[in-house]
Amino acid sequence: MSAEDYAGRHRRWGWSLLPLFVAFGLVLEMLHGFKVDAYLNVSNETRRLLWTLAHAHGSALAIVNIVFGLALEREPVKTMANLGVTSACLLAATVFLPLGFFLGGVTSSEGDPGLGILLVPPGAVLLIAALLLVARAAGRR
Amino acid sequence: MPKRPSIGKRQFLPIAVVAAAAGAAVSGAVLLTRAHRVADHLASNGPAEVRTDQYVSSNGCEACHPDHYRSWYRSFHRTMTQAATPDRVLASFEDVQVTQVPGRPMELHRRGRELWAEFDDPDWSGGGAAPPRITRRVVLATGSHNQQIYWYATGHDRLLGQLPAIRVVADGRWVPRRSATMHPGDAAMYSETGAWNGVCVACHATSGRPRLSAPLGSEPIAAARVETMAVEFGIACEACHGPGAEHGRVNRNPVRRYRLHWAGGADPTIVQPLHLDPKRASQVCGQCHSLWEFLNPADERDANIRGLPYRPGDDLTASRFVVQPTRNLETPTMKTLLQDDPRFLGDVFWSDGMVRATGREYNGLIDSPCYQKATDPQRTLTCFSCHAMHQTSDDRRSLAEWADAQLSPAGIDRSACVQCHRTYGTNVTAHTKHDSNSPGSSCYNCHMPYTTYGLLKTIRSHQISSPSVRATVETGRPNACNLCHLDKTLAWTSTILSQWYGIAAPSLSEDDRTIAASLVTLLAGDAGQRAIIAQSMGWAAAQQASGGGNWMAPYLSLLLTDSYDAVRYIAGRSLRTLPGLSDVEYDFVAPPASRMAARVEALRRWRQIRVTRSDRALLMNVDGTFNAESIDRLVHRRNNRRVYYRE
Repeated sequence: MSAEDYAGRHRRWGWSLLPLFVAFGLVLEMLHGFKVDAYLNVSNETRRLLWTLAHAHGSALAIVNIVFGLALEREPVKTMANLGVTSACLLAATVFLPLGFFLGGVTSSEGDPGLGILLVPPGAVLLIAALLLVARAAGRR
Repeated sequence: MPKRPSIGKRQFLPIAVVAAAAGAAVSGAVLLTRAHRVADHLASNGPAEVRTDQYVSSNGCEACHPDHYRSWYRSFHRTMTQAATPDRVLASFEDVQVTQVPGRPMELHRRGRELWAEFDDPDWSGGGAAPPRITRRVVLATGSHNQQIYWYATGHDRLLGQLPAIRVVADGRWVPRRSATMHPGDAAMYSETGAWNGVCVACHATSGRPRLSAPLGSEPIAAARVETMAVEFGIACEACHGPGAEHGRVNRNPVRRYRLHWAGGADPTIVQPLHLDPKRASQVCGQCHSLWEFLNPADERDANIRGLPYRPGDDLTASRFVVQPTRNLETPTMKTLLQDDPRFLGDVFWSDGMVRATGREYNGLIDSPCYQKATDPQRTLTCFSCHAMHQTSDDRRSLAEWADAQLSPAGIDRSACVQCHRTYGTNVTAHTKHDSNSPGSSCYNCHMPYTTYGLLKTIRSHQISSPSVRATVETGRPNACNLCHLDKTLAWTSTILSQWYGIAAPSLSEDDRTIAASLVTLLAGDAGQRAIIAQSMGWAAAQQASGGGNWMAPYLSLLLTDSYDAVRYIAGRSLRTLPGLSDVEYDFVAPPASRMAARVEALRRWRQIRVTRSDRALLMNVDGTFNAESIDRLVHRRNNRRVYYRE
């Protein structure tokens, strides 16, 4: 795949996920608006926190994908090494992080999230790896 | 191949500096906030809050149990003792003058976040000379549901004194401390300096330790060393769940936590009262809601230093003597207690052993048949049959509504009893003989009547019992029927109970056959009995069941000049619930002449709106006049024993 192909892929992912996660934010606001116990009750504080994190991470990562797609159209990122690995890491993180937060909030007990939260640490590692690779490429003179 | 450029140290340096500065700012803010909190009570010569002996305080519980923390935080258990700060006290200290105190008025001021009071020294022993004025910082407040009491740092070690007036929450007014308790009006003044350190600390704080160099009262408190401390002010998580350090430590391991979540069982590192057997579960509440004494003097000295040895889940009776005259009247410990204070039992119990002072609900529970006779743990009455210390998810009430009595949804009215007595639930009228929606079909009204007194009001007896005329005759305790049907005689009740439930009728005196039981008690009963009747006369359900409350006005007016402050307070409150008398001007601690004037005025107002009711049982003649002879006779027969409740 060429850099253009990767750029197109990340822009598509970004523009697809951004409305999805913004809409998810709207859903959360509605849960607030209608005072839904399953979201607002203090016993569901963990769910509220994790779903807020899912919304925030999903939206932010969608924007990161768009920005990455745009950055791939010009130097120095366009010619970066390990582009395939970087792209895969970023896409995996884009799935793992918000999905992990969301699933972790579906079930929780005594402040502990559900097992879906296990997706978050690998997602975070993959995101950091992707960012470091991009940062190294962007820092080239 | 060209060397790949990398991000240099110079580029990271600004980021690192900014991150370090932000971290330092956040840490500093946290430390300063914490230091401020600690300073609130440590810098004031008041009792200290010290985490020790595996206690971690409620702060350690909040992160993992936010919902339980939140409902506890709203409960009156938490505020049973708290540091006195402007946002926690219910009274204003903004240059306020309080006249409801013995001697000269008390002046209240704020100095920043500190609360200060200037008042006559209550510990002055200079004979007839006027006591000197003292100015002291108020450091602790106890209570917030019914009353709030304020404690000042005396300046001697960590010894606290009590302000001479307290705040009555319902009225939003100050009353003299002495007037808020049931005691004879002519009783000698006494100091309550040291009371928090030596007495209150046991149950108004978590793991309190008096640390007095000698037992309270055994030597002048001013001569004693006082290093009082508690793990946490107020009744916090660990009072009921036990020390939490080990629980917190082992549950830092997520694998352990998830294993417990999946297994669904109890965590052995912490006590869950609901998982204990019924008797041990209720003892968790009984550690405070009972009348108890130390088994021996050595235990008192040990608890004085280390705190009470009881921990939730333990057998309470292993370390306490729970005073229960129906069970341990003849024991050496009880005999010793009675030697020290012969009135000890009469101040707390009715003559048949039923508790009559508030705050001793465990004593009532353990003499209840639903507790004593139960053989199935699932069907044994416990505190948690009706109460929930944390609001449950199926409770649709607001937190404030739940906090009022901390009743569980299952504990609201009939549902509490029909958990076991299912047949009554399906056809309640067959059992109660009252309309199913009337107060007469409330299990509580008949089996837990308001015969316990404390905090300027009556509360329900927590000893489950059935209405009994015989018990009324033998003990003087009003029965449930006559607490609602205030216009009926004991003979009427006896006949009804005989017809409906086959209860044998006891022999009755002429008065009991012809005069309403409420009036016999109101006119001839002791102060505690008078308070109970006065409170019932303000109860809407009783007024409705008694042909309206109009006829009660003259009798409540009589009590406006009662010799007991507490009786006067309740009578005044009830009088104002009667139609046409809601705005009667009356201050129960005003000078006697003023109280008499209020009584005369209340009677005058009542005569204008009186509903003529010729009823011999109400001591009213056919011509509308009172049967003064009987009233005088009953008043002269009054039980004038000196009543002190151990509230």
